[in-house]
Amino acid sequence: MIKFEQVSKTYPGGFRALERVSFHLEKGEMAFLTGHSGAGKSTLLKLISMIERPSIGNVFINGKNLNQISAKQVPFARRDIGMIFQSHRLLQEHSVFDNVALPLVIEGTYTQGEITKRVHAALDKVGLLSKVRLLPKYLSGGEQQRVGIARAVVNKPPLLLADEPTGNLDPELSKEIINVFQQFNDVGVSVLIATHDLGLIARMKNRSLTLKDGRMINDGLAVDDEKSSTGGMFL
Amino acid sequence: MSILFSKDSSGANAKSVNPLQKFIYFWIHNLRQIITSIGEIWRTPLASAMTIGVMGLSLTLPATLHIIVKNVQSINLEWDSASEISLFLNDGLSEQQISSAIRRLRSYDEIDELRYISKDDAVTEFKSLSGFGEALDYLESNPLPASFIVTPTKYHKQADPAKALLAKLEKEREIDFGKLDIDWLARLNAIVSMLEEAVITVALLLMISVVLIIGNTIRLSIISRKEEIEVMKLVGATESFIQRPFVYTGIWYGLMGGLVAFLIVTFVIWWMQSAIGEISGLYMADFHIEGLTFSEFGALMLIASGLGFIGAFWSVHRHIKEIEPDLD
Repeated sequence: MIKFEQVSKTYPGGFRALERVSFHLEKGEMAFLTGHSGAGKSTLLKLISMIERPSIGNVFINGKNLNQISAKQVPFARRDIGMIFQSHRLLQEHSVFDNVALPLVIEGTYTQGEITKRVHAALDKVGLLSKVRLLPKYLSGGEQQRVGIARAVVNKPPLLLADEPTGNLDPELSKEIINVFQQFNDVGVSVLIATHDLGLIARMKNRSLTLKDGRMINDGLAVDDEKSSTGGMFL
Repeated sequence: MSILFSKDSSGANAKSVNPLQKFIYFWIHNLRQIITSIGEIWRTPLASAMTIGVMGLSLTLPATLHIIVKNVQSINLEWDSASEISLFLNDGLSEQQISSAIRRLRSYDEIDELRYISKDDAVTEFKSLSGFGEALDYLESNPLPASFIVTPTKYHKQADPAKALLAKLEKEREIDFGKLDIDWLARLNAIVSMLEEAVITVALLLMISVVLIIGNTIRLSIISRKEEIEVMKLVGATESFIQRPFVYTGIWYGLMGGLVAFLIVTFVIWWMQSAIGEISGLYMADFHIEGLTFSEFGALMLIASGLGFIGAFWSVHRHIKEIEPDLD
């Protein structure tokens, strides 16, 4: 689903955020991306979401080389990737419904009825159907994050990217959020979650990719070593 | 449209629509954006009112000048006699000579109308208009010459062609000399064309300022919605999808500014009407200002919304591209 091939990213000014990173996240796989602040997690996610382009190397999604996607095509490509952010990034002046409906409205090929149906279904999955008419500011942090997830999944993308989705939440709520991701993974959605919440990773027993100073230093189970690494990493 | 995933794989954006549906959705969506973009104006009522007000005032000046020019021109047209040419005939012409001269002159392309005033007519007219007609009774013979009053065609009423026509007519052998109050006409025409120039110059300058005002207002609106624009880009909105509502807002600003200008102009005309009525009453002239016609109102709105469009389009193209999303 996501494949990095010897990817390096150097920012203007010379800062090398990623160095020769390679890994392969299989279709239907759920993995954590971890490492200290500044290790390159955000850069890696930005390369997948085409916010940044690699300096060297290739990034593939579903076998498609992102280097071949023009700036004009980027918006269309992003519609296939559900993104979840640490600060949820909800539109505060719009209702929960409008926030979740946004990707469908942008796509512009749905009738009002279809939009309503899909938004309700997405909110139902994250357990927030009752709050559909509220403004985000009346929701708790965990609830806002779930709205963010609903927005990411409303057009049923095959790939979810999450950047520190539990960053502002207590362990109990973090578990809840991760469970939501797990549910989507269970129905075949590939999920990549960047987090520095090591406790969470340890509990989940998923594959975990660890970055340090821009290099991939570990690809496999973070703590538990009973199952050796699943993916075809370091190809 | 799916770039990364073909339609059969894993249900990604699996919705397919035919081109007609897509077309309809596009317009439904545009309509919605047009309506919600009015809401954008209400979101910041004070700033919007100021923008609309400045626009309205900027458009009022050229519109008012246009009305002045239009009305001066209509005065120009009303006073046709200003461009009548009087041709005085030589003395002692026979009836036949005169009628052949009339026939000849009437065949001129430059001449719209020709009126013959015989010596006798001239006396009658002189008596009735001058007020000391009895003086003529003491003369043995009629000293007044017969004359032609020539009305040139529209083009030849203008100062220079009229002068040329006069020179041409004076060469006719029956004509003694001609008269044309050309200076007065020339002066009025000069003033009118100067005013027209002024209107165009002022209008051009003010239009540029209107474009800049709208551009700046839209820029501020873009900046205040930076976060929203970033989110939209992150979930896959195209540039044009994000730009459109701002462009519509610019057009709305333009239309509202145009409407304000129209109201101000109408008020000014109404205000001046009574003052002008007084003056024209004193001169026993029947004169009233002609306001904006319906098509001129339409043109004003079209120009105003066009300027709004240009300002917004320019601003949107510069500033929305600059906003690049980040993860946090």
